[in-house]
Amino acid sequence: MSTTLNLKSGRANGTGASRRLRRDEQIPGVLYGQGMAPVSVTVDRRDLRVALSGAAGVNTILNLEVDGSSYPAVIKELQRHPVRRTVSHVDFLRINLDEELTIAVPVRLVGEAKAVLAEGGLVDPSQDTIDIVTTPANMPSEITIDISGMHPGQVIRLSQIALPAGTRALGDPDLPIVTAIAGSRAETSAAAAPAAEGAPAAEAPKTEG
Amino acid sequence: MLMPRRVAHRKHHRGRMKGMSKGGSALAFGQYGIQALEPCWLTARQIEAARIAMTRHIKRGGKVWINVFPDKPVTKKPAETRMGSGKGNPEFWVAVVKPGRVLFELSFPDPKQAHEALEKAVQKLPIKARIITREEAI
Repeated sequence: MSTTLNLKSGRANGTGASRRLRRDEQIPGVLYGQGMAPVSVTVDRRDLRVALSGAAGVNTILNLEVDGSSYPAVIKELQRHPVRRTVSHVDFLRINLDEELTIAVPVRLVGEAKAVLAEGGLVDPSQDTIDIVTTPANMPSEITIDISGMHPGQVIRLSQIALPAGTRALGDPDLPIVTAIAGSRAETSAAAAPAAEGAPAAEAPKTEG
Repeated sequence: MLMPRRVAHRKHHRGRMKGMSKGGSALAFGQYGIQALEPCWLTARQIEAARIAMTRHIKRGGKVWINVFPDKPVTKKPAETRMGSGKGNPEFWVAVVKPGRVLFELSFPDPKQAHEALEKAVQKLPIKARIITREEAI
């Protein structure tokens, strides 16, 4: 089921004009896809929030009303303010309701991995979303993974996940989706520069060249 | 403490910390994180202090990610030295942080304890920072 969203076209482009729009609770955006020329649009922040608050979230199929024309579309990208996290720009991708499309569906873990928690371990979702190819009619709102039977050290991979009918996953079948980390003292990793771990503290670094 | 193993240049210019963080402003690994709300030079000692505060609170289990790395050397002239005679010696290392940057991430089964651990880590930082979780509003 699609949700109707009214957009206004013909907005002024550029930083200043976009900032003025955002101040008036309007979000600048662009609509493209299916061979059409990109159209600069604006959408009311409240309308967008209401349209995306359904079960499918950001994967909701939208019926965009622009200048008297109607386009089925999905959200391709949401740009957010780095601190406020409000949406500052939105990309709408026009779709064909009979064609397959690729979307990122959120992963939801259900159950409690008692065997892992009993040993002081942790169930760590390695991926928040899974890229799937599906038709708009078969689009799932989320993919649920039952973790109640997991044991420490177990990894659930992409190939082991049961997907809804009419969908197929994109990516490496061996991609870890959920990992049950065995219990130990809190593990730390420097995500930005793993090579730097274990560097001598007092020694001055060598200079290249 | 975190520091580079090898550098191309021993002494850097100071630079500026204008504007917002360009990337790294959303959670990438964990379920909770600490997001900077002000710009700063975050020293390797401060990063280490925050990490220790966090890991000591959560004791066992959980996983911590440090998303910033102190790769900028800061120089200082010795005390009571006359001006001139070139730039001082590298004394410590800092990470340049701009508002919005996620500094640490944490995965832990108990949300209450995770928040307490992150609060303790925030207290070790020289800036205002907030705790963020995965859910995002439109």
